[in-house]
Amino acid sequence: MRRTGVFYAQLGLTILLCLFIVVPIVMSALAGVTVNVFQGLSSGLTLRWIFEVWDLYASSIFLSLWLAIACLFVTLIAGVPLAYVLVRKPGRATRLFEELLTLPVAIPGLALALALLITYGGVSGYRSSWLFILTGHVLFTLPFMVRSVAAVMSAMDMKTLEEGAASLGAGFWRRFFTVIVPNAKPGILAGALMVVTLSVGEFNLTWMLHTPLTKTLPVGLADAYASMRLEIGSAYTLIFFVLIMPLLIVMQLLANRGSKPARATAEDK
Amino acid sequence: MTTSQKQAAQAQDAGTAIALTNCAKTFADGTRALMPFDLSITAGETLVLLGPSGCGKTTILRMIAGLEFPDAGGAIHFGEDDVTRHSIEQRRVGMVFQSYALFPNMTVAENVAYGLKVQKVGKAERDQRVREMLEMMHIDMLADRRVDQLSGGQRQRVALARAIAPRPRVLLLDEPLTALDAKLRVRLRTEINALLRKLGITAIYVTHDQEEAMALGDRIVVMQKGEIAQIGTPQEIYRAPKTPFVADFVGASNCLKVDIENGRALLGRVDVDVSRAWNANPATDGLSEIYFRADGLMLCAPHDAHFTATVEAVSYLGEKLRVTVAGIGNDAVIVDTDPDSVVRLGETVHCRLVPEKLTMFAAN
Amino acid sequence: MSMDLDLKEGRSRPSLLSSFLTPRAAAASPAILTVLLIPGLVIVAAFFLIPLARVAVEVGNGPEGWGTYLLILTNARYLESLIQTLAMSAGVTMMALVLCAIVGLFLVRNRFAGRSILIGTLTLPLSFPGTVVGFMVIMLAGRQGVIGGLTDAAFGAKLVFAYDIAGLFIGYLYFSIPRVILAVMASAEKLDLQLEEAARSLGASRFRVICDVILPGLMPGLISSGAICFATAMGAFGTAFTLATDIDVLPMVIYTEFTRNANIPVAAALSIVLGLITWACLAAVRSFTGEGKSLPVRGGA
Repeated sequence: MRRTGVFYAQLGLTILLCLFIVVPIVMSALAGVTVNVFQGLSSGLTLRWIFEVWDLYASSIFLSLWLAIACLFVTLIAGVPLAYVLVRKPGRATRLFEELLTLPVAIPGLALALALLITYGGVSGYRSSWLFILTGHVLFTLPFMVRSVAAVMSAMDMKTLEEGAASLGAGFWRRFFTVIVPNAKPGILAGALMVVTLSVGEFNLTWMLHTPLTKTLPVGLADAYASMRLEIGSAYTLIFFVLIMPLLIVMQLLANRGSKPARATAEDK
Repeated sequence: MTTSQKQAAQAQDAGTAIALTNCAKTFADGTRALMPFDLSITAGETLVLLGPSGCGKTTILRMIAGLEFPDAGGAIHFGEDDVTRHSIEQRRVGMVFQSYALFPNMTVAENVAYGLKVQKVGKAERDQRVREMLEMMHIDMLADRRVDQLSGGQRQRVALARAIAPRPRVLLLDEPLTALDAKLRVRLRTEINALLRKLGITAIYVTHDQEEAMALGDRIVVMQKGEIAQIGTPQEIYRAPKTPFVADFVGASNCLKVDIENGRALLGRVDVDVSRAWNANPATDGLSEIYFRADGLMLCAPHDAHFTATVEAVSYLGEKLRVTVAGIGNDAVIVDTDPDSVVRLGETVHCRLVPEKLTMFAAN
Repeated sequence: MSMDLDLKEGRSRPSLLSSFLTPRAAAASPAILTVLLIPGLVIVAAFFLIPLARVAVEVGNGPEGWGTYLLILTNARYLESLIQTLAMSAGVTMMALVLCAIVGLFLVRNRFAGRSILIGTLTLPLSFPGTVVGFMVIMLAGRQGVIGGLTDAAFGAKLVFAYDIAGLFIGYLYFSIPRVILAVMASAEKLDLQLEEAARSLGASRFRVICDVILPGLMPGLISSGAICFATAMGAFGTAFTLATDIDVLPMVIYTEFTRNANIPVAAALSIVLGLITWACLAAVRSFTGEGKSLPVRGGA
């Protein structure tokens, strides 16, 4: 291919954008392991800040992981059957329900959190437990699971597959677990990764819903940015990156694998 | 054929007779897909449902399968067994889908074993049966392949093996060859034909291809707009179509409007004895339509001719020369002739009807 | 065979609910469908519909009554905040669309070493929380930021803009780029190359091909990703929160009303109005482009 000036201009812009994205990430990662940011790297490298973050915020990190797993569990139980119904029974009622289901994503998290607080804020045992945050996370991530699974399901001509299984004598639950769920696996996997990453990174809802005893990782981050020295904020961010990057990379690999269903879900992002 | 294959063939249910009584189908939006009809299929028979798309043939098949239910008043029997309200998984049918519907999450062998597993057939017997089926379909070397690694023809064979493996009472085939290329279609058609005869299973086969229908069917049901236009053996359908639609659909697409008097068609300056036409009878006296295939008319010497016509198109088909001529009746007429003859565009040719190859209907 | 309703049941005209629950051959029975739906229905009803209705009513019980909903138009501070938020979101959306259209098209059309790394990098912040994005802006343009360092070295003056409107803009751009670029690349991959070849065979110049073929082809993708970008920016909270700017974007106003002033009716009314704006924006675009397939990822907002 002939590489013209236009090519290099576009390449230049692309690289510039990449730098815009990546420079602050590298900067903050470095700041997290620098002895003194104000003096720069020359002050030496240290893991001190990382340990300090661990001492201060380990519980918030574990809570976030626990929340993500619980959220994944709930969205799987609720989302996969829901996706099945949406794909299998297209119609006005289904569309209406799908719209409703997607609303929590369209509405700002702050508004959603406010609604939850006003309604359930008085239920003290619930309000102060991690379940309250889980509620918000499930509302926010469920549509992603449903869409991801539904995209794969509608790409696979589920109706005929199911008719095939039925013609061989398989009843509904057997069809569901031996044919539908296994073939929706790419969508379930993509949805699961999405749910976990979103849950680990969720801030808008969580900030409103958390209590001093139920701080998640992003809440802790906000806390550190506001009240700790720059190095600690950076070190904490570094830990967050280390947690979330593998998930993002696997998600990209899945999307790039070129299989049609996976691509369809990739577009859903 | 190996011994095991023979056993497999013998072990197959001899077939179940099927009867549909007063079945009709109205869809939710009010459209009438099928007018009320009766249809019985004898045990071991291969019945082909033939018709253009939207004629209702697939709906009948799906009704027998249990994927659609007839309107109130209809009944479906498998032998003595009233299955009208049974859903597909209770009917013990074997079905081959147009898109095959093979399970992508399973290997070939697992696909074939699925129905047996559902029936809780023990592992040893199941494996044995799967092996027999795969051998019978000549795909035993593909047992561990994934479905997406198969060619169209191989998928078709897997779909057949999977449908037959649980010994269904009836085998239902929904345009199973449509997705394949022409050459493979003919080969698989022959194979399916042999298989159906060997198994002696009751089979219902849906297609829009009249050649396929002729080749496979013990009887053919020609469908038109939700109604059965004709039921008959391939010979009957071919030689004695009952309606102009059937005649047209099975290939007699040339049509002439003529007056008939005492068994002679009046064609301007000549009249032709059509008393030997396939379904000619006195009742067709009056204004009639004559339907015929490309061999119902022939080019001839001027003194034998019934008509003269102008050549509009010529195509060389190898074993014959297909000539489109205008000037006889309102529409152009197609006539086949010797591939070595020379026919030029615009030329005037002489032709005569072949009375024994005509089909006549009273014009309406 | 789309609508095969079982007519034996005597239902000729399916109602909204019955069309949902009527049995269908080889599909689940109504009872099973209900079982499948229950978990999702319970979650949506109990934790979304009821709270939302509750909030809408709560506003009416406030001192201003239902008039609270109009405060966003009558109160100068709220109105100004709304306008600022709208302007900011629109600006970020335009900027992101232009940048991502150029870069996304480039990445789809060209194959070169390192391409997938560039794509990976650009989509990296996809699920960064808003707070982290805010922190990234501080790293870039804060007091210890790269830009400040560079300008200090070059001109002897530190350029710091993380904490004003420019910083917020940069932050919004930061979390918008991954979503928009993914959407643009997805629709660029679907472009029919033969259309361009046809246009060129008819003598169209490179510029004309871009205007007449490529841009119209990308347009649905641009519009839908633009809407998502806009809606996300409208509701973004974490970034502004971290940067602690004195610019009053609407989510910050809501937050302040709720926590500092304990003015729950006003916070609720503003939330509902904000929710309606973002939802209407997404719904309008969806009905316009006729596809409901794209979901915003709001993790970074």
